[in-house]
Amino acid sequence: MNRIQIVAKNEFLKRVKTRAFILTTLLGPLAFVAFIAIVAFVSVKSLSDSDMKTIAVVDDTGVLYERLVEGDSDQFSFLEADVAADSVRAGVLAGRFDGYLKIPTGVLTGESGVEYSTVEGGMGSLFQRSLERRVEGVIEEVRLEQANVTQEVRDILSERIQVSTTVLTSEGEEAGNAGGYAAVGFIMGFLIYISMLVYGSVVMRGVIAEKTSRVVEIIVSSVKPFELLLGKVLGIGAMGLVQMTVWAGLIMAGTVGSSFIIALFVDPAAVSLPESASQQEVMAAMDFQPPQLGLEVFVWFVLFFLGGYLLYASLFAAIGSAVDQESDAQGFMLPVMMPIILSIVFIQPIIESPNSTLAVALSMIPFFSPIPMVVRIAVTDVPFWQVGGSFVLLIGTFLGAIWVSSRIYRVGVLMYGKKAKLSDLIKWIRYA
Amino acid sequence: MPHLRVEEVSKQYEKVLAVDRVSFEAKPGRILGILGPNGAGKTSTIRMITYITIPDSGQVTLDGKPVGPWSQQRMGYLPEERGLYKAMKVGEQLAYFGELKGLSHREAVKTAKRWLERFEGKDWYGRKTQELSKGMQQKVQFIATIMHEPELLILDEPFGGLDPINADLLRDVIMELKSDGRTILFASHRMEQVEQLCDDICLISGGRKVLDGSLREVKRQFGRDTVQVDFEGSDAFLDNLVRDGLIKVSVQSKAHAEFRLLNGTSPRTVLERILATVDDISRFELVEPPLREIFVQVAGQREVMA
Repeated sequence: MNRIQIVAKNEFLKRVKTRAFILTTLLGPLAFVAFIAIVAFVSVKSLSDSDMKTIAVVDDTGVLYERLVEGDSDQFSFLEADVAADSVRAGVLAGRFDGYLKIPTGVLTGESGVEYSTVEGGMGSLFQRSLERRVEGVIEEVRLEQANVTQEVRDILSERIQVSTTVLTSEGEEAGNAGGYAAVGFIMGFLIYISMLVYGSVVMRGVIAEKTSRVVEIIVSSVKPFELLLGKVLGIGAMGLVQMTVWAGLIMAGTVGSSFIIALFVDPAAVSLPESASQQEVMAAMDFQPPQLGLEVFVWFVLFFLGGYLLYASLFAAIGSAVDQESDAQGFMLPVMMPIILSIVFIQPIIESPNSTLAVALSMIPFFSPIPMVVRIAVTDVPFWQVGGSFVLLIGTFLGAIWVSSRIYRVGVLMYGKKAKLSDLIKWIRYA
Repeated sequence: MPHLRVEEVSKQYEKVLAVDRVSFEAKPGRILGILGPNGAGKTSTIRMITYITIPDSGQVTLDGKPVGPWSQQRMGYLPEERGLYKAMKVGEQLAYFGELKGLSHREAVKTAKRWLERFEGKDWYGRKTQELSKGMQQKVQFIATIMHEPELLILDEPFGGLDPINADLLRDVIMELKSDGRTILFASHRMEQVEQLCDDICLISGGRKVLDGSLREVKRQFGRDTVQVDFEGSDAFLDNLVRDGLIKVSVQSKAHAEFRLLNGTSPRTVLERILATVDDISRFELVEPPLREIFVQVAGQREVMA
């Protein structure tokens, strides 16, 4: 076994065997799901919980109030205010109502709008939307009636048309909706982000720990600094790959399970099916189709995952070698992290137009490319020359980066006590 | 067994010439003491011997061949700044170091266990390193240095942090390794340890070799002009002798003094003057200068020159 392998094996084993690793690997997805569930639960809860709002209505039209009261709601109850607007205002301020609606006669002719006044700031947009929908519905109803519109026309107006999206590829039509692909793109982009930033800083911390504990002096009397550096990067990379594989497995198992779980909670009536409908039928009616991705998408994902990790891990290792403690590393880390952070920011625009000039350019430039490229691969059909070219550029950049890093590293790990500056690092690269 | 030769080696860091044309050799079956004040260039020299760094000029050879990865496998280096992986178990750690030095995993585990037993640490094998006391970690580190049976051993302050019992244990092991015919480099500031252990010495100061040779020769070179005296009563005589420019005091305590005779002062003169003032005298001995004296004198001179 050569020494790079020995170092890699040790780096891998000593990390994989820790309780922290086993726990985060097994419970990570669970924690993630729990986090999403809590956020969803809290927002739903706060919505339904938000105590019923009492709204005083100053209805100048004289016809809308009745209709508003008719439809029952668990979010608001309406109360006719036959007093002057001024005292209603006082009532709101005194806390007798949560707010008041002022409906001028003009609304029935489309000349004016409705005004809602409340003391509460930060009104949830969900509440505002449902109130708006309610008022709008009532006004529409009355105006349609006044205009003597037939039931037929009203039905046409109230009809909702759904647009379902399908992704066309050279191999033919792919089932599933574009939203699903966007989600996959986002998740893959995020995983690469983790691999570059989180595993990269694991490498950096490992280097700093070896340096501060002075173990490095013993190790470099046995192996070349380059062998130590590469072994470390590969060992931690293997750890990351194991963690990602386990996560992917758990998530896949979870997705299969989740459709059943979702179906359990969805009321068949909500998707206009009889109560007796089976879960599969519910899923079908909800148009829930997991996106189907070709094998090559996963192959490219793994390749960019590794390429991105290797590039950034070697840079982070060089940073680690130049400092004595983690807090000193901040100054060097910012410029290295910038491209990673920017490419996370650009995920959304890239998902929206994966073949825009911005998206194509970002997915080709080595320091940015891993995240934008996997996002594009997930949501669209990327020409081979772009994926292949981008990958070749990435690997080329990695080779350059590890060469530079190992030159900084071999000097840096033996320098104690002195806070290195950028100019020092450049000098170290030039050392014989 | 190997013959280490350092020839005209220089190393420059930024603007500092850390090592300036240093040459010496270390022979099998002997212990060479590398001495020098702090910042003299000892660590820089050792790093070149261990092939951690490469000399700007000159060369380091082992058995006539320039050092390189091949020689690293035959060396064991115990740096002055100790370091172990704190979170790793002692056994795993030793096995790893052994494997890096070319042992198979199985051999490494076996040797680690054997040496732990020798150092009375059989039950440390599965313990985390950070749970061990400093002295125990020190012993673990020493095992890591010697477990692959290196022919060249470089020990930088190996006794630091050890109690006298463990220091004796370590000394026994070092003497065994020496009688096996291994070449040993011993760097230390503790002159009494150097005197006890070393056959040869090499004194480096300001990046330059200022003195080397066998310990005995070096001492002889400095002559028998040091007096050790144990007495009772007042030590006022010391001040008088110093004032008259006859001696230079190196050690002074309540009932003991050590000084050098200056300008050919005869021992007899000094003895007479001591007897005139003290209550009694239990020892008056003319000896070779202790190494510490030589060190202070030579390194001090060098500093004055610089």
